[in-house]
Amino acid sequence: MAYTGVTPSARSRGMVREARHLLFTVAPGASWIVIFLVLPAAYLMGVAFMTNGPYGLPQMPLSLESFRRLAGFGFLGWSPGNLYTLLRSLWQTLVSTGLVVLVAYPIAYYISTCRETWRPIMLLLVVVPSWTNQVIRTFGWMNLLAPGTPLSELAESLGLIAPNMGLYPSNFAVTLGLVYNFLPFMVLPLYAAFEKLDIAQVEAAQDLFASPVRAFWHAVFPQTLPGLLAGIVLVAIPAFGMYVIPELLGGGKGMMLGNLVANQFAGGANWPLGAAGAILMLIATFIGLFVMRRIGKRLGGGEEVVI
Amino acid sequence: MRKRTLKRGLTAFWWFTLAFLYLPLAVVVLFSFNASNSAASFTGISLRWYTRLMGNEEILSAFANSMILAISSSMIALGIGCLIGYGMYRHRQRKLGWLIVLIYLPIVLPDIVFGISEMAFFVQVHRLTGLLQPGLITMIIAHVTFQIPFVALIVYSRFVGLDPTLFEAAKDLYASPTKRVIHFMLPTIKPALISAFFLSFTLSVDDFVISFFTAGPESATLPIYIWGAIKKGVSPEINAIAALMIGAVAVAAVISLMFSRRRPA
Amino acid sequence: MTINKTALALSIGAALLAGSVQAQENKLYLFNWTEYMDPAIIEAFEKKYDVDVVQNYFNSLPEMFAKLNAGGVSQYDIIVPSNYYVPRLIQTGLVQKLDKSKLANLDNVMAQFRDPSFDPGAEYSVPYQWGTTGIVYNTATFPDAPKSWSLLFDPEVNPDYPFALMGDGQVSMGGACAYLGHGYDCTDMNAWKQAAQLLIDTKRRDNFSGFSDGTPALQQLARGVTHVGLSYNGDYLFFKEEDPATFANLDFMIPDEGAEMWVDSMLIPSEAPNPEMAHKFIDFILDAKVGAQLSNYNYYASPNAAAVPYLDAVLTVPPVQPSEADMKRLRFTPSLEGQALQTFQQLWSEVQSR
Repeated sequence: MAYTGVTPSARSRGMVREARHLLFTVAPGASWIVIFLVLPAAYLMGVAFMTNGPYGLPQMPLSLESFRRLAGFGFLGWSPGNLYTLLRSLWQTLVSTGLVVLVAYPIAYYISTCRETWRPIMLLLVVVPSWTNQVIRTFGWMNLLAPGTPLSELAESLGLIAPNMGLYPSNFAVTLGLVYNFLPFMVLPLYAAFEKLDIAQVEAAQDLFASPVRAFWHAVFPQTLPGLLAGIVLVAIPAFGMYVIPELLGGGKGMMLGNLVANQFAGGANWPLGAAGAILMLIATFIGLFVMRRIGKRLGGGEEVVI
Repeated sequence: MRKRTLKRGLTAFWWFTLAFLYLPLAVVVLFSFNASNSAASFTGISLRWYTRLMGNEEILSAFANSMILAISSSMIALGIGCLIGYGMYRHRQRKLGWLIVLIYLPIVLPDIVFGISEMAFFVQVHRLTGLLQPGLITMIIAHVTFQIPFVALIVYSRFVGLDPTLFEAAKDLYASPTKRVIHFMLPTIKPALISAFFLSFTLSVDDFVISFFTAGPESATLPIYIWGAIKKGVSPEINAIAALMIGAVAVAAVISLMFSRRRPA
Repeated sequence: MTINKTALALSIGAALLAGSVQAQENKLYLFNWTEYMDPAIIEAFEKKYDVDVVQNYFNSLPEMFAKLNAGGVSQYDIIVPSNYYVPRLIQTGLVQKLDKSKLANLDNVMAQFRDPSFDPGAEYSVPYQWGTTGIVYNTATFPDAPKSWSLLFDPEVNPDYPFALMGDGQVSMGGACAYLGHGYDCTDMNAWKQAAQLLIDTKRRDNFSGFSDGTPALQQLARGVTHVGLSYNGDYLFFKEEDPATFANLDFMIPDEGAEMWVDSMLIPSEAPNPEMAHKFIDFILDAKVGAQLSNYNYYASPNAAAVPYLDAVLTVPPVQPSEADMKRLRFTPSLEGQALQTFQQLWSEVQSR
């Protein structure tokens, strides 16, 4: 732009220098990610197309056997086992994301209406539990939900659970663990949206529409949509592949896709099958991202959905 | 009138949610002082689980591993991520879509896919070359990989937030690029560097799944140790370690609160 | 100065890449079941040979096998798997043959363990301990518990109370086979299919709590999370001794339909970093007094004939030494290979995911 009067050769020298600068700054990190993530992930994809050896390790020749297995076809004919696992993962993701939205929406709104000096502290209070380790948080719930604990006794006396069973291990405990784990991920982007809320628009809507519900629906909700979508992506994607929570709180009844995949490696059962499951998880992740982007653009609310 | 009821309802809901968020952690801390080995009843205060921790060599070494891993991986990620962040800023006019995709990859990849990819890859590399045996080194590599994007994005957004004329001024002030980096660049992005380091550190300490799949016999971190202890059968000692880690987080929270209060002034 | 720094950086880099190879000179890496080793034995061994023993633990055999596959084969010096995993370890080349000339105490092994079916000629393995897997249940909840698998598998015997099955598929499946009358060590396809169906039905019962490994199962029982579960006789006694009050109303039982008897053996992975020290360790455990000390600590029966005079009295009576009648009904878990193993894995993953 400001190169007027510079000879062509000097300009090209400048471009070379710029290119070298780009290479120097970007290459170390980019190649690190390529070598230590893209390559391993590509290798894992390759494993999915290999045959399962007699003791669970990948073998030549290449085949689609592991995908057939993942779809439920075995020596014994078709069975819906893996399909159940997949549906369970989807269901848990759906339910827990929905619950997280229901809890996070009012909380984020409430924080944004509080005095400005309090807001950072309130946000911090929401986020701090997620700084503790995932395993510890889940362990806390194991303590709380075990049979004989006050919460379990309460649920039992209300007739919500069979006697003596306790709230953990169960699918309910897994849902609860997921909601607990991901709540801050939803509160933060929603809060950001509420903070930017255009009050004039809301007031105009309040004058326009008689009912507060319609005012909310037409003026507030669209404005918070980008934050909501960002939150859904941040919650749903990791929830779908969750491993720790179903493993500890589900007691083997609430197996999710993450456990199916991990078991193939940590239980020494079948690497190619696990790799095929990982591909499925990747596809789901990318579909999730893509759909969110599309919806985000269509609704116009967010020029920039934070993903 | 209705507005006030709404506000009151929200306040109640807020306290209820806080209770939900802190109850499990509080229970862990409470039961770490329990005199008996029971999850259901609290029978008196005692420090016996803490004293049992003190003599436990495995826990001490797990703690040391966690620290070594978090500090060294954060340092490496800081260096590499910083460069990328700057490169992205400097060349933001170019089409760097591929770089953005690459940088977001470690963030969007599910933990478990990340972990098993690394594991399968390291095993294969070790089989072929004898290098990269599972252990602290492989864990550091994996952690750096998921830390780089966060560092890069934080540094990048700091640069974007700066007044572009500052760079021109710095160019006039310092002739050599090295001096420019030392006297202008680093001091200006210092806050970003500090927060990037702490975020990397937290991410590393917080990670379980990726560490679990890349660890070797001597590199168990605290989360891995606790996982093993839970799998082995819940013992009250776990409450004690967990309570200590929760304590550390609480301290970190207070510190960050003090920082954030000072900033607006 | 700069050169020094560069040299330093390079050497650190090299050391990092090479991993902890050089540090392993005087270490012994032991990969064992949880709660399965007297710390005093480790101390004595460390003192005697001036070596640092690093212990790692597993809760189930699949976990152990997976770790070996994921690089552990060159990181551990000794592993302690059960009988039915030994053949697949040998066939996958994950373990090495023992140098018997280095095992002076080998003659201490009881005659019946010298030529085991899972390792003919005992070329790879030396027995460590042996025991049984049985049902542990709460006697307050089940005062008239039948001596049978029906405590787990019959909804009418236990309609209400939470129970757990074994995380290791072969043991749970064996139990289901025994309950159905096919015997604990069934390998017949039809028997397996019925057993898998039984397990799926059992999982669907409201009071099924989950799958857990042998040692954790006892903790769950102690805490009241479950009221019936599967565990090992020695672990049961070990925890009972530690916490008599809680374990007063927990009992161990070998079902009359037959159950598992196992032998855990010491093996050396094929790429063990320190096989020399591994042989010394095996020989150390084979010593009469050390062998007795191990069993006295673990509450498991010893395969060491020379150790018998030093064993505590509790080790000579049930449940450590099963009664004559029970002994006849105990079976090894079958070692599966090839097609049979794959079929089993499929059935088991079906059980897990339903």
